[in-house]
Amino acid sequence: MSNATLESGAAMAEGTARRGVEQLSMQQALNRALDEVLAANPKALVFGEDCGRLGGVFRITDGLQAKHGTGRVFDTPLAESGILGMSVGLAMAGFHPIPEVQFDGFAYPAVNQIVCQIARMNYRSRGTMPMPITLRVPSFGGIRAPEHHGESLEALFAHVPGLKVVSPSNPHEAYHLLKYAATRPDPVIFMEPKSRYWQKGEVDFDSPDPAGSPTGGSPTGAKVMRAGRHLTLVAWGAMVARCLQVAELAAEDGIDIEVLDLRWLKPIDEATLAASVRKTRRAVVVHEAPLTSGLGAEVAQLITQACFDTLKAPVERITGFDVPYPSGDLEDEYIPNIDRILFGIQRVLEYKRG
Amino acid sequence: MAEISFPLPDLGEGLIEATVLEWLVSPGDQVERNQPLVEVETTKSAVELPSPQAGKVVRIHGGPGDKINVGEPLIVFEVPDNTAGIVGTVPKEEAPKRRVRLSAVLDED
Amino acid sequence: MDTSPSPLNGNDAGHLSGPHAEPLTAEQLRELYSLMVAVRHLDTSAIAWQRQGLIPGYAPELGQEAAQVGSGYAVDTTRDFVFPTYREMGVARAMGVDMVAYMSTHKATWHGGLYNPIESRLAPIQAVVGGSVLHAVGWAHGQTLDQADGVAMTYFGDGASSQGDIHEAMNFAAVMKAPVVFFVQNNGWAISVPTERQVAGGSVAARAAGYGMPALRIDGNDVVAVAEATRRAFAHARAGNGPVLIEAMTYRRGPHSTSDDPGRYRSLNEERDDAGEDPLERFRKQLLADGIADDAFFAEALAAAKAEEDDIRAGIQALGSRPGTEMFDLVFQETTPALQAQAASWREESEHV
Repeated sequence: MSNATLESGAAMAEGTARRGVEQLSMQQALNRALDEVLAANPKALVFGEDCGRLGGVFRITDGLQAKHGTGRVFDTPLAESGILGMSVGLAMAGFHPIPEVQFDGFAYPAVNQIVCQIARMNYRSRGTMPMPITLRVPSFGGIRAPEHHGESLEALFAHVPGLKVVSPSNPHEAYHLLKYAATRPDPVIFMEPKSRYWQKGEVDFDSPDPAGSPTGGSPTGAKVMRAGRHLTLVAWGAMVARCLQVAELAAEDGIDIEVLDLRWLKPIDEATLAASVRKTRRAVVVHEAPLTSGLGAEVAQLITQACFDTLKAPVERITGFDVPYPSGDLEDEYIPNIDRILFGIQRVLEYKRG
Repeated sequence: MAEISFPLPDLGEGLIEATVLEWLVSPGDQVERNQPLVEVETTKSAVELPSPQAGKVVRIHGGPGDKINVGEPLIVFEVPDNTAGIVGTVPKEEAPKRRVRLSAVLDED
Repeated sequence: MDTSPSPLNGNDAGHLSGPHAEPLTAEQLRELYSLMVAVRHLDTSAIAWQRQGLIPGYAPELGQEAAQVGSGYAVDTTRDFVFPTYREMGVARAMGVDMVAYMSTHKATWHGGLYNPIESRLAPIQAVVGGSVLHAVGWAHGQTLDQADGVAMTYFGDGASSQGDIHEAMNFAAVMKAPVVFFVQNNGWAISVPTERQVAGGSVAARAAGYGMPALRIDGNDVVAVAEATRRAFAHARAGNGPVLIEAMTYRRGPHSTSDDPGRYRSLNEERDDAGEDPLERFRKQLLADGIADDAFFAEALAAAKAEEDDIRAGIQALGSRPGTEMFDLVFQETTPALQAQAASWREESEHV
């Protein structure tokens, strides 16, 4: 890795003056990122249901309308297909829309515009009409919310050609990934883990990734959140924090676990994934979404492809079940819990060939 | 938790103070928006002040007969600073619990 | 806010046909009042339940009791079917739905509630804004195909009227002459966005003209006007004349949900100016003035409402979590091997309810 690359990565974070480190919740970190994106790019627009005066139902856009004006941060009528369809036209007109769909389940009414229009307009127009749209979706479960407020849509969107998908796991990642996503020329589905909105963490404004990381400092690939020797836990969004807890528990039993935050769910950083599992030779992938055709299958296949010869056991998937996301009383039964993840790890550890 | 102080509002043109007649809530009460908080008397009339927001009462200022100036603190609410969601609850951060122990003979090859 | 009934492009009330119902009797008026008191008391209690940690959340309907009770009262549960949103507790109560089973959705026991929708004639509680409106059209067309005389009533709000599905539903219903009553509660607010920033032209009822459908714009805070308009709409639809739209002008006097903070988007003064007179208090005065009820009756109605809330609260408190096996058992009528395997591993690996 050359020094030049590292410098350009660090320079990406706001100018040249060092801004240091702050304790922020993910909600505050996302708000800060949007504020800076709006300030830096006069063509950036933030809109959606209740995003203006109210500041969003999770307050991610709090204060942005007052600061940047009603022309750039605004409330829309209550129609998700309308919000995303309008984003297409705004992108064609040279804007960078950063729409919000209020909850994961409300993205379903907009699927037609996302899949049939946003994802393929660049292709259809032979590159003349790029779609720099950053769609923020409060995602995943864990807050005892009503129906359609706890869905995990990553596999659905990752399957669509023309979309990129990313999910932050903590305030630091949220700040840098959103700033990065909102400056890309392609559509990015930005999945915010709503159960982690309120947890505070350190945000290092100056360096998205540690110096010397394979991404050269820009938040483009997967990230090792905890190094370990015996097994790699792969996760994203809210499951990263749970996997870090599991790793600490496993350490009590003498098992040294590496936790890999995939971050980008499309494109997946195959090199970092492979490097980790080549080292540990065992892998378990954890997600909230249902098992069948979930993104865990894709991750397992990529690992198998890259590490087949050295793997000590088949890749395990610890996931939600193939059931509609349950009501609050049962959601802890559904979301992968610590014991289920430990069982999966144990199966991999004791696997014997032949 | 955050505290929000509600000052005595201007209750009519030119009035600069009001006298507390009776508090209708006490510290510790959970009040709803628009719920009557206190009866105050100005030189013009006696009025009930409705609560500008929902929250838990932390402190009240002034007892019956006390004068309070417009703009001075009347009541302080405690509001959660981390329950911004329109639905659902903020998950509790709990120490991880486990039943499963790992056991493995690892050949470090 | 203008809540006077307005003629709309020749599609006003005068164009509704079908047999006229008898005026409401004194007994029925008293029943309407008792229902409104029961709903008001349960609704405000549910907010207290949330504050006390009994339920994680609730969507209050304070101020919409007349619109909900009046319309729900007009339903014939032997043949009609109702498609609610998530804020139709008053409709459910007026239709006689088991309220513990209804409120269970707010306790996060089961999405949609635990009541039997087929027996109660109320579709499961719907969390998608505008989500069930097309379902009503399909159910109603089924009545036409079966040569049955049921009418579907579907509820939505001024916010939902922005969704494309609503327009598709109106067009389908009118094209197919389906017996549907589109009951719009225009309560002034879609969370933080007021009607004037939501509904171009200011009237959902005016949309009906474009679909060749009669519409009634009524004072949704007048329970008698609501009940009578709904009965006329049912009669019109039941007589084979196609769908009707009712826009009941009312006001969401409370927050969108128990976690909402209206102070961020409207002032108490605005609320006072826009909300108008409390529909319950207004009806009480009217009954008193007309000599239909006296203070003893009002006191009795309130006591009954309190006793009812006590029972429902006890029922909600006693309601345990559903067994986790239901997660797996209720996905399909015919389960799959993969799902059975997942259920087996869940039984083995999780502590469960």
